[in-house]
Amino acid sequence: MRRLACAGLAVLAAIVMVLALPARPARAHPLGNFSVNQAVRLDLYPDRIAVTAIVDLAELPTLQARSAVDTDGDGRVSAAESVAYNTQVCRAMARAVALRVDGHRVQWSVRPAGFGYRPGSAGLRTSQASCALGAAAHLTSPARLDLVDSYQADRVGWREITAAGHGVHLVHPPVPARSVSHSLRSYPADLLGSPLDQRSARLRAEPGNGPGAGAAIQLNRGDPVSRWVAAADRKLEGLVGGRLTPLVGVLGVVLALMLGAAHAALPGHGKTVMAAYIAGRSGRPRDAFTVGAIVTLTHTGGVLVLGLLLTATTSLAGEVVLGWLGIASGVLVAAVGAAMLAGVLRRRARVHGYYRPPAHDHDHDHDHRHSHGHSHHHHGHPHPHPSGRPRRLSLAGMGIAGGLVPSPSALIVLLGAIGLGRTAFGVLLVVAYGAGMAATLTAAGLLLVRVRDRWASHPRRALARLAALAPAGTAALVLCVGLGLAGRAALGVLH
Amino acid sequence: MRHRILIVGLAVILVAGVSAVFGLRHGTSPNASAAQAPGTRARAGQAPDGQLSEGIARAQQHLRAVPGDYVTWAALGSAYIERARVTADPAYYPKAGGALRHSLKLRPTGNPAALTGLGALANARHKFATARHLAHRALRADPYSADAYGVLADALTQLGNAPAATEAVQHMLDLRPGLAAYARASYDLEQHGRLGAAAALMRRALGDAVDPADIAFCRYQLGELAWRAGRLDAAATQYAAGQAADPGYLPLLAGQGRVAAARGQTRTALAGYAELTARYPSPGYLMEYANLLRATGHPARAGQQLALAAAALRLFRANGGTDDLGAAQLALAQGDVRPAVRAAEREWSRRHFADVADTLGWALHRSGANGKAISYARKADALGARNPGYLFHLGMIELSLGRSSDARHHLRAALALNRHFSPLDAPAAVAALDRLGA
Repeated sequence: MRRLACAGLAVLAAIVMVLALPARPARAHPLGNFSVNQAVRLDLYPDRIAVTAIVDLAELPTLQARSAVDTDGDGRVSAAESVAYNTQVCRAMARAVALRVDGHRVQWSVRPAGFGYRPGSAGLRTSQASCALGAAAHLTSPARLDLVDSYQADRVGWREITAAGHGVHLVHPPVPARSVSHSLRSYPADLLGSPLDQRSARLRAEPGNGPGAGAAIQLNRGDPVSRWVAAADRKLEGLVGGRLTPLVGVLGVVLALMLGAAHAALPGHGKTVMAAYIAGRSGRPRDAFTVGAIVTLTHTGGVLVLGLLLTATTSLAGEVVLGWLGIASGVLVAAVGAAMLAGVLRRRARVHGYYRPPAHDHDHDHDHRHSHGHSHHHHGHPHPHPSGRPRRLSLAGMGIAGGLVPSPSALIVLLGAIGLGRTAFGVLLVVAYGAGMAATLTAAGLLLVRVRDRWASHPRRALARLAALAPAGTAALVLCVGLGLAGRAALGVLH
Repeated sequence: MRHRILIVGLAVILVAGVSAVFGLRHGTSPNASAAQAPGTRARAGQAPDGQLSEGIARAQQHLRAVPGDYVTWAALGSAYIERARVTADPAYYPKAGGALRHSLKLRPTGNPAALTGLGALANARHKFATARHLAHRALRADPYSADAYGVLADALTQLGNAPAATEAVQHMLDLRPGLAAYARASYDLEQHGRLGAAAALMRRALGDAVDPADIAFCRYQLGELAWRAGRLDAAATQYAAGQAADPGYLPLLAGQGRVAAARGQTRTALAGYAELTARYPSPGYLMEYANLLRATGHPARAGQQLALAAAALRLFRANGGTDDLGAAQLALAQGDVRPAVRAAEREWSRRHFADVADTLGWALHRSGANGKAISYARKADALGARNPGYLFHLGMIELSLGRSSDARHHLRAALALNRHFSPLDAPAAVAALDRLGA
């Protein structure tokens, strides 16, 4: 109980400080002159639960509440009137803020924690009332908490809920631990912002001293390459919106090429696996170019189709479509990997059956190396291939998988161009973007082919053997990466 | 091939533009003007509507990704205006203006959607001359924009140019017959006193409405038309049907309050107005509430509501609006006759709308200038609106001028249309007729 009192005092002190801050220049309530705004902060301790609720009334509700505050009607708000009104608000708040711990509704102790006015617009005032609600609780074992705030539910306004654990761990809390509005003191103000409208939260609490931090928002990705790419993205988007001179056009195309190349090089798209595929599977330089061309075509087509779809209908959410395409791409990669693996195993079985009597280990090794050297010298192919059709199919599959998921930045550039009535320029940029991607992939493929060839013809046996193992290894790798990509995309879609 | 993609792309842009501008809840809805004036076709007051919020959220998300998309910026601006009207919260107007001006900055020429949106914003701020100018500019950029004609019609109606307004409504009806056009046409007919035809058109609009909020809007308007004709039961039925469609459509509370007061259910009426003004404190409703409070013997509470109305008007001005008509009506309700005359004259210098003529005439009558007052009272009724309020004012002015038979005629006409037309004025009309010995 004493701790509760201490916490209450601390809250009170904080509120007094808030209200004692120098008055800002008077301006309209950022959320509208009719709004009733609320912030409910939940603090969970092993033995108790504390709620700090703040109600921020804009100009007109403040005026409407005046007769409830100034009860003696003398035109002034005395300290006693202020406390009485604060208590009244907090009692209503305690009735309206329902917290259930494992289904049992918590009975709040109510403490008014401050009431004050601030200058608003048109010579009117806004007002803030704060309340500290508290209750004993046993959060020493896992518990489910359901919070519903129905205070003045029919009024327009900002409503936020935050939750933090102290000696209590919150498992994946759906609400943040810190207020984005700094407890209704500064509302994020931009033309693209809508007020927050969080009226309920379901929390899982566990004993333990987890950070209890809620969904953290990560804005900047760390490494310099990503940052450079992001900056270049913005530059390109800016170019699309600016005046279109020939120089700007050329610059845009060059930038799109570079961006495409950079995006293909960034990890996480599973595109690099294709380069490995080319190397492990067949390794003709021509194949690298084929895959590159298919990637460009697929990517350009995909971006165009999706871009037009997204422009045509606002009911389509871009992220969801990207997620499903991600799944499709992963499944395609996995299928190619599985086909490769099956091919390798089949071939190996054939090789075994034909050349090698079961007991002689030595022969196998020899045969294998021999076949390698043989084909390499005569055809420039490291491996004999199964029939050409499935190989070409899987090459195409790889290319399609690589280009299927449109790069968000290419999509944005296209949408921007469409929005500005410069569709042709946007299409050109997207083509350049795909070409850039293809360039990176082809280059990586060629590089690996080179490296592998060198290894295969290496005088030292170990490296040559490693190269010999490449087909099975790559097939397995492609399969795993495909499954991983599909799984990750599925998690994103189903979440 | 590229050529074909281009053509498809252009078609898609066209479709997207059209759906973005018009799809976001009919862009500018039935009556872009008269955010405050009671008795007009303002769609106002319901709680934040899901579909609209969703559209706004999607537009915001899209613009974060594509900041250069001027079409969506314009659509977002129009949606903010709609939000301002829906929540009756003028603080959305600056936001709407920001989005629309940004659209125009991105695309200064050939951007009719932004100009139309800015026109609707000007109407909402009661800057009708500006709205007319913007609508004309939008129509130069796109002569087939039904929405621009809607903005133009609203502006012309409020500026008192009835023939031109009718013509603009006709253009809108021809270009895109639908809820927005029917509602405007219905209002136009009502202005000319053709209540039956107005109700018929409103029923057609109702047949077109799908969204619950739109159904509630049409039901409310049908209720208002029935109320104008003094048919209490029919009005109550329409309001109830509206409430069944969308309980969040707040103007229905005002209609029900008026009917309850007319039926002598004072407690119900006051409770309804209290709820309405708590959720939607517009100057118009606050003044109506104050009237009812005064008529039922609560002068102190009436004064509080008038003070709130004054604050709401100040906020309207602080957010860039101009409403000297509201200011004049408020000053009259507070008994400040001289400021009322000045405010009404300022408004009359801007626009010759029937409501303004009526208020100016009444303010002049209250200041004792009955000779001047009568010409304005006659102007108010020039279109033959057969508005009981106008007729009452005209009759009372004639009474002051000693023209008893004219006064008797007009006061009787007002009561014949709706003998409950106002909780304060209807009893005053009855008393005046008694004095006239009718």
